Amino acid sequence: MQKKISIIALICLLISVNLHSGPTYQAPVLITSAGQSADVKLVGMLVKKAGIEHAVELAATEKSLAGKKTLIIVPGFSSKGLGAAGVSAQDEMNRVKALLAAAKEKNIPVILVHVGGSARRYGQSDQFIQEVGQYAKAMIVVEQGNEDKYFSKLSSEKHIPLMLVPKIAAAGEPLAQLFK
Amino acid sequence: MRVKNRRIFSARNNLFVLLTVFIPIVLFAQEPLATGKQGMVATAHPLATAAGLEMLQQGGNAIDATVAAAFAIGVVEPDGSGLGGGGAMVIWLNDKQESVWINYYHQASSEIAKINYTTKDRHTGKSVIIPGTAEGLLTALERYGKLSRQTVMEPAIRYARDGFAIDATLAGLLLDNTEIVTKDSASSSIFTDDGFPRMEGDLLVESSLAQTLQLIAERGRSGFYEGTVAADIVKRINREGGAMTMNDLKKYHARIGVPVKGKYRGFDVISAGAPQSGISIIEALNILENENLNSKGLYTQSGETLHLMAETFRRIYADRYAFIEDPAFANVPVQGMISKEFATDRFQDINLYRADPRKYVDTQAGNPFKYNQAVSKKKQSIETNRNVEWGDDVDDENASYDENEEELFDHWGTRRKSKSQPEKTTPVRDTVNVDNDTFKEYDGHTTHISIIDKDGNAVSLTQTLGTFFGSGITVDGILLNCGMSNFASTAAVNAVAPNKQPRSSISPTIILKNGQPYMIVGSPGANRIMTTVVELIVNGIDFGMSAQEINDAPRFYCQKFDDYLHLEGGISEEAANSVIRKGHNVKRYGNWDLFFGGAQLIVVDQDAHLYYGSADKRRGGVARGY
Repeated sequence: MQKKISIIALICLLISVNLHSGPTYQAPVLITSAGQSADVKLVGMLVKKAGIEHAVELAATEKSLAGKKTLIIVPGFSSKGLGAAGVSAQDEMNRVKALLAAAKEKNIPVILVHVGGSARRYGQSDQFIQEVGQYAKAMIVVEQGNEDKYFSKLSSEKHIPLMLVPKIAAAGEPLAQLFK
Repeated sequence: MRVKNRRIFSARNNLFVLLTVFIPIVLFAQEPLATGKQGMVATAHPLATAAGLEMLQQGGNAIDATVAAAFAIGVVEPDGSGLGGGGAMVIWLNDKQESVWINYYHQASSEIAKINYTTKDRHTGKSVIIPGTAEGLLTALERYGKLSRQTVMEPAIRYARDGFAIDATLAGLLLDNTEIVTKDSASSSIFTDDGFPRMEGDLLVESSLAQTLQLIAERGRSGFYEGTVAADIVKRINREGGAMTMNDLKKYHARIGVPVKGKYRGFDVISAGAPQSGISIIEALNILENENLNSKGLYTQSGETLHLMAETFRRIYADRYAFIEDPAFANVPVQGMISKEFATDRFQDINLYRADPRKYVDTQAGNPFKYNQAVSKKKQSIETNRNVEWGDDVDDENASYDENEEELFDHWGTRRKSKSQPEKTTPVRDTVNVDNDTFKEYDGHTTHISIIDKDGNAVSLTQTLGTFFGSGITVDGILLNCGMSNFASTAAVNAVAPNKQPRSSISPTIILKNGQPYMIVGSPGANRIMTTVVELIVNGIDFGMSAQEINDAPRFYCQKFDDYLHLEGGISEEAANSVIRKGHNVKRYGNWDLFFGGAQLIVVDQDAHLYYGSADKRRGGVARGY
């Protein structure tokens, strides 16, 4: 038991060190989707609850970054969302790539927030996660989406801090911490 | 509403959960193909399949199993159907060599003219119309079932009361539709946790729904259509600006009639009539019969076949929008639309070398009225099955009505009046003015169940709430439909009227070979239902595929009011490039996309006396035989 507690404490410490040594995140924040799932609205609710100034744009472009200091991207593929937006998966991928490149050019840090669990994993969802993961400076993930350790692997490969939370509602806390 | 907010894994009564929830799921999951000699059940959820199979193994017939599975699917797949919605089933009674269509689709209230519905009202009380599911399922059970109401409803009650694990499909849909289910406090308390959607693996308990189901099990239809449940529904709908009376619910009855019937390459096709879309299935097959598809190659590989089928689909949708509505309110040219002569006309309208007209929206309806009367007379002379009471055929004047239907027609009055209307001699395409929401709908909502028993009795059932989670409003555990969204929003074909049923894409279908079931098939998927069902039938009949191959084959979709040919992953580049060269705008999807439906189908090997069941991997369904 004591050993478990020690390991958890160590992990928390490492995360804490990573967070503090990483970039600082400032509002206002632009929140957008990568894959057009409705998960982006849930993250919008969490950010609002945390009292962080933000705007949610399902299909944000480079122009949307004007005046923004942080970009939160919520990956998750949704046929329904793409259909409603009237875009193909390739169109969406192109938009996401262009946005990420623009954010990098403007030195706007990217946070990946994955709240869809297993329902937003595998297939085309993973393609969007992979793309956003190339640019992300931090990841907040509902742990069900990491059952195969996909995000853990991405985190260690890219040296990005990963904050795992047990359920969607709990993702608000680490989000708020990032902006403190 | 008491909702247990916990994960399956932390449940106190782990043993109970293991026995009732996990074992059926583990046993049935990940087995899309099944074989059986005594019976076969294919549904969109392992627990609904288990409910149906349980009835067959208790000595029930296909109707008992279907009713049990349909009540259960409304619990375990609450997004797609349930007590608050409606549907239809086509029954094949093998010993009598007779087919029956039970139409229990939801219908507008008598007071509907009082409300001013717009498309923005989809998730309000204004969108709710009279639910038909309980009435339809109980009618089927009373007329054709063998087991008691309590027996067939027990699994559904058990699942609602004790809970079940949310599967990946429902979890994804909750994410997609959080806004809908959080607008209503009762829905929110069931489907969300701390205001956010419940996730895969969470235990979903629907205590109020269990109580309502129990009431129906004890009291029959009056448990839903009269008394406290009915009063609660009426009160809630009227409070939200809708219009429904206790009398509307009390007077609602399922319509029992003759399915529409056609022939395709020697096979009998039996499906749901107007205002549902079996007519379109038969029309499409009739058009395709003008070519030898097998020699051209499967549409996944052959651009020629893909083009022909796409051009066919454009035309059946144009005809559907122009002519199909509730036949109690209009002269629907059913016999003309399913005639071979009309299909020949429509086939000759197809340019085999290019998309023509170039824009799908310019696809014109044909004129089925030209063939309506002659075929009706011919049909009268060859139709010998007169044991059913009501059909949507234009020649139904000789049909007899039972007490319920008399009451129904007295109540409506309008059907008889419609008969005295002069027959239309020209297509009404210029009056087509459809609800745009219909064409922005990317949901694959609705659900399908296919079942066959040891005696060869078969049922194909499709039921729905309108769209995923219907109106989003829950009353006494019942998630209510948004049926108003299925009507056209302006005064045109399929316009709303008191006591009228809206047009629906649902197309539960049974195919016979030599007078015995060959395929029981259907799918959810909104507007994609018809194209999916036609593709499944073509895969089986023209290309001799096995049940699993039929279901696994990539699909495509197109229609009049959406200028894209939607291609699922797996359709070859060569075929896709060929149709692009012919002028189609192509939109590509990944493999096995839920957009293209979730078919549950059974194929019968008549020589080996074996049933093959296949559940669609696009939607987490399960087929199981024994």
